[in-house]
Amino acid sequence: MTRAPNQRVLRAFGLVLAIASVILPALPMGPLFAQPPLPLAVLWAAYGWAAEDEAGWRAPLLLAALGLLHDQMAGGPYGLFVALYLSAYLMGRIVAAAMSAPNLVSLWGGFIVTALLSIVIAWLLAPIGLGRQVGIGPYAEAALITAILFPLVRPLYMSGVGARAAQPGARR
Amino acid sequence: MARRRSGFRRAGAGRKLTLGVIVAALLALGAVGAVVYQSGQPASVGQQVGDDIATGGGRVATGPVRAGEGFVSRLLNMWDATARIEALEKENRDLRAWRDLAERLAERNARYEALLRMPEDAFGAGADVSQSIAAQLVLDSGGPFTRTLVANAGADHGVRVGYIAVNENGLVGRVVSVGRRSARVLMLDDYTSRIPVMGEASRVRAVLAGQATRPPELITRPFQMQAPMLDFIVGAQSLREGERVITSGDGGLYPRGIPVGVARRDGSGQWRVALAAAQQPIDFVRILPYVGVERPEESAVVGDGPPRAADSSVSAIGTQTMAPPPTYQAAPPPAPRPQAPAQQPAAPRPQPAPAQPTTPQPAAPQPAAQQPATPQPAEPAPAEPQE
Repeated sequence: MTRAPNQRVLRAFGLVLAIASVILPALPMGPLFAQPPLPLAVLWAAYGWAAEDEAGWRAPLLLAALGLLHDQMAGGPYGLFVALYLSAYLMGRIVAAAMSAPNLVSLWGGFIVTALLSIVIAWLLAPIGLGRQVGIGPYAEAALITAILFPLVRPLYMSGVGARAAQPGARR
Repeated sequence: MARRRSGFRRAGAGRKLTLGVIVAALLALGAVGAVVYQSGQPASVGQQVGDDIATGGGRVATGPVRAGEGFVSRLLNMWDATARIEALEKENRDLRAWRDLAERLAERNARYEALLRMPEDAFGAGADVSQSIAAQLVLDSGGPFTRTLVANAGADHGVRVGYIAVNENGLVGRVVSVGRRSARVLMLDDYTSRIPVMGEASRVRAVLAGQATRPPELITRPFQMQAPMLDFIVGAQSLREGERVITSGDGGLYPRGIPVGVARRDGSGQWRVALAAAQQPIDFVRILPYVGVERPEESAVVGDGPPRAADSSVSAIGTQTMAPPPTYQAAPPPAPRPQAPAQQPAAPRPQPAPAQPTTPQPAAPQPAAQQPATPQPAEPAPAEPQE
């Protein structure tokens, strides 16, 4: 019988994946990291950390730091990715508070809603910081890819849900 | 019973504002304020310093990867080496035929230009090529909104905002931000990139608009909407598929004549440009200073009349309508054409300039007496202007 990996180890992998998703596209290492667009792993982290660590202040600070790093790498205005990631965090809090009995499907649906909200915020905020010509198509594409891949990486950012956890989101 | 740690297990109970939510909300509001504050402003000093730091990290991070990438690509290329050699040999044979044709056409073109006293069509007229700065690109934009590259040469190396970045294939972009040891280059396919370009053969003017994930679009529509510029409608129609697109120099941001790419028409009929710089991964670039063309008011010369320089094509156009006939005797004989030489009309033999104008044979005796004693050309010259 195989042992399930430690939750702390999984979270560490999740954090590394989030940082890598910010840094790797910025390195000119050929088309491997450019096409197709890499998923925005920080959105996974924001959504998962919002559900798992509701009262902590470290998750928003870490997300803000990752957003600043992404802004620096992108050469864009400081604050754009910070706002996107923190909005995903806040949306994750709302979803976590609203769900009574989350399962994989409802969590996935919640993340899709979160990704769509971040697209809306990008649509509102990016023209302010980058000019009216800016298009959010590439961001929307990356966010949708992120949403599609969410079930595969959910264990890195959230504890297990399903049959072993009886009614994990049940109201007390 | 073990303590439940997941937030979802307490879902529904956390509807009050927690510390995390408050911190996140405050930070998000601050971020939005920062974006609004930076709107329309140039890159901040912090951004330039950050680029300098990231440049060092990027060089360290990409070094091993690039070395490994080259090793792997060499290994992979060994598998189909024979087939590639055969394909290259075939391509080489085809290219030799094209080279012969290009040499003949270039020679003819040089004769025509000499005949018309055309000024030399130099690469990037206005760019100070001798003062170019070589740099390596160490960071990509890393974001879905902008398309920029960071080069490892900055103010310490002489780079300034507005310099032009080119690689061995063509134009890459323009420097928009400079740190001490780094410079950020706005690429041609960025959403905010707008460059005046023209077709090299048709001379059609257009604006190259970046579209990030797709090849840049050639915008000719705004010109068509302006009634006084109807010429552009004709120009847009004469743009040809596969025509080379170069910078036109209009607007004074880019030098004239730098290769940009090749005009392509997409499925919807929209003209786009396959960027020349994107033929292969962009690694090294040359950063060129651009010295804009001065306006005549800024460099007015007080003189006693219009210039009459012998090598000025502008003055030549004003003073003479035709260049003196070339000395065909001194020119080398034209290369024989392999394609059906017997069907080609005989090359016009140079006739020596007549010492005395010959009197033409009149078609009718009465009008001939009224004609001036000047030689008549084989075809009548356009004596009346076309309306």
